This record gives sequence, structure tokens and C-alpha cells, in this order.
Amino acid sequence: MISFSKSLKLSVIALLGVTLYASATPAPQRIDVKQMSKKVENVVVPLPNEIFGALNKLGSVNWREYVRTEKSSNFTERPRIALLLGTVIADGFIAVQAEDAPAVKEIGQRVLSLSKGIGVGNSITPHAKAITEAADKRKWENVRQELDRTQSSVQAAMNEVHDEKLSQLVSLGGWLRGTQVLSSVVTKHFSADGAELLHQPDLLVHFQTQLQAMPEFNLPIIRDIQSGLGEVKPLVDVGSSHISPESVRRINEITTRLDNGIVTRD
Amino acid sequence: MNRFTKISLQASLSLVVCFVLPRGAAGTVDDAQSFALQAAEPYVKEGFQVREDYWGGDLGSGEKKAVRQQLFKGNEYWFWLGTEVERAKISVHIYDSEGKLAEQPDSWEKGHFAAAHVIPKATGSYFIIVAVEESPEERTHWALVYGFR
Repeated sequence: MISFSKSLKLSVIALLGVTLYASATPAPQRIDVKQMSKKVENVVVPLPNEIFGALNKLGSVNWREYVRTEKSSNFTERPRIALLLGTVIADGFIAVQAEDAPAVKEIGQRVLSLSKGIGVGNSITPHAKAITEAADKRKWENVRQELDRTQSSVQAAMNEVHDEKLSQLVSLGGWLRGTQVLSSVVTKHFSADGAELLHQPDLLVHFQTQLQAMPEFNLPIIRDIQSGLGEVKPLVDVGSSHISPESVRRINEITTRLDNGIVTRD
Repeated sequence: MNRFTKISLQASLSLVVCFVLPRGAAGTVDDAQSFALQAAEPYVKEGFQVREDYWGGDLGSGEKKAVRQQLFKGNEYWFWLGTEVERAKISVHIYDSEGKLAEQPDSWEKGHFAAAHVIPKATGSYFIIVAVEESPEERTHWALVYGFR
């Protein structure tokens, strides 16, 4: 038989349990997406390493094949520098995947010089130093984190001076380079799961909407990207169907063309 | 500086701070973010990479906000929500593009912290719904960070 004090303790514990359980708000099993869509905040653009991580789980990738360190053209137009900066940061993530320390260090310096070119060099100097130090010690997790911080700091600095549109171009440049590499890997070793990683129709709409709001950036590369995204959209917007090998190959062609446009002078 | 001067100076400074700073300065989205990051801390040791980017804002009691996020099948995600208002109760839940609850049962809510765990069954857009369930404040700052592995 349970004593009174013991039963009192048990009751208190049970009551506490019920109270704690009751304090957790039960989530509805379903929501009305259409209604919710009207109140949606902007998306956070995934970093290339988020996609590369998922890709790695599908099988080993020879990341060294995708490392790029050659210096791209020098630009004076700020939107072009912003696009290139995003691309180079994505190259940094590729070099980390390949665990290529010299490439990471070179890319770190390139990020710094591009950031200076766009007027946000001061906020990047400590990150560039940290990237070099972490690459020397082969602390790849730290390099990844610093690259994320670099992009975040660049964009925060741009937002502070109301250059939000340039900040959006940094994300777009990175996304395009990430998508180019993803589609290249999947073209070479096709799998339905790999192709599914390209299923990002809302992100495409997000970028298209942003580009439409940049009429002041009247540059051929911006127009090319706009039309390229229009070509990619139907290839990835497949609902619950699979993205075909042909579509993946086509996406790779388009993103390779756009990436070349970003890194080379017209 | 003698003790009296020091105390007088401190008191004057406190008064200046009380009158000069706006009421909203009691807390900011950045404060909320530091609480969200605090909730994320134990998961970093488990290999989650926490993104520098985050969402934030303020909500009234009972209000909700939806954010949309691209998630990739093969990754595992945690979303951590925080507010600096200690007596507030907040929640975060994740739904797929069809509006179906997609989170794992180990998602949790503890006063001014909440977290939702998702292992996406498909690559695509997901809705993350943040809510201020209860709060003593008229408006409550919130910040949402996420991590993946």
C-alpha cells in the first residue's frame, strides 16, 4: 500500500506532468497554405554547403573536380561585383568540400578584394583572416562557419547602407554557382534523389521577383539571368513528378552559361 | 574620485539612460536572436551547422507569422525560436507545401524558447509557423534561427 506522503508526491508529480503537457501548444495537423501564403516572410536562401551536404549523403563526390581558383575578370559595376562575390563565396564552400587548403586561402583573399571593391571590405577583413587560419589548421567546420559569416557580414553591411538589392545579388550569385555544380554532379551520376535536390521552384520565383524589382541594374548579365531563370523554372517545377535526366542536363547548360557570364567580361 | 561622486555620477547616468532611451530599447530582435542561439547551442555539439541568417520581428499575443524555407531531403533540420521576454510563451511548427504537419515528435516548447525538428521526406518548400501564444508585453520580439546536418 502506498503511504499518504508517497501518494501526495505522486499526485504532485502527475499534476506537474499534466500542467507541463498542457503548456505545450498542440499544433494543428493541417493548415490552410493558401491563407498562410499571404502572410509569408521572405525566404532565407540556402547556402551551397546545405545542398552539398545533402548531395554528399547520396554518394561520394569528387569535389576537387569543381574547385575553381583562377581569377575572374575585374569589374567596376557594383551589381557585377555583387554577383561575382556570391559566386566566389560558393567556390569557397566547394574548396572546403574538397578540403583544398591553398584554394580556400586564395578564395578568402579574393572575397576580401571583391568586398573592398564594393565598399564593404572593413567588415570582411577579420573573416578573411579567420578563413586563412582555419584552412591552415584544416579546421573545415570553422572555414564553413566563417564563409557563412562572411556572406552574412557582406549582406548586413550592404543592407546598412540600403544596398539591399546588391545584397540579393550576392545570394543569387552563390545560388547559381551552387546549382551549376549540383546539376553537373547529378548529370554525371544521375539518381532521382540527386535530381530532386533541384526541386526549388519557390526559390526561383523569389529570385525572379527580386530581379524584376531592379530595373536600375540595366546590364546584359542581369537580363541573361532573368531569362535563364525563366528557362529553369519549368524544368524544376514538376510538382510530385521526378526531374528527368534531360532536365538536369539542361539546367546545367543554362547555369553554366550564366556562371560564365558572371565571371567573364561581356 | 570619492565614493559620493562615484555614486552620484552612476545615479545621474542611470537617470539619463531611463529618460533618453526609448521604451522599445528594453529589448530588440537582436536580443531575441541571442536567446534563439542559446536554444541552438546544445545541438551544435551534435553536429548541426547553425546559419548566420535569421528571421525576426515582433508579434502581439496570439499572433502568428509564417516563413517559407527551402529544405533538402537527406538533411536534418532544427528551427529554434527565442524571445527576450522571459514570461512569454512561444511556439514554432513546421508544415510541408501541402499544409501537413511535418515535424518530428521531439519538437519542444519551454516558455520563451521553442524548437521544431524536421527530417524532410521531400525536397521543396516548407512553412515554418512562429507564434507568440502568451506575453505580458504588447509586442514581443522573436527571432528564428535554423541549423542542419
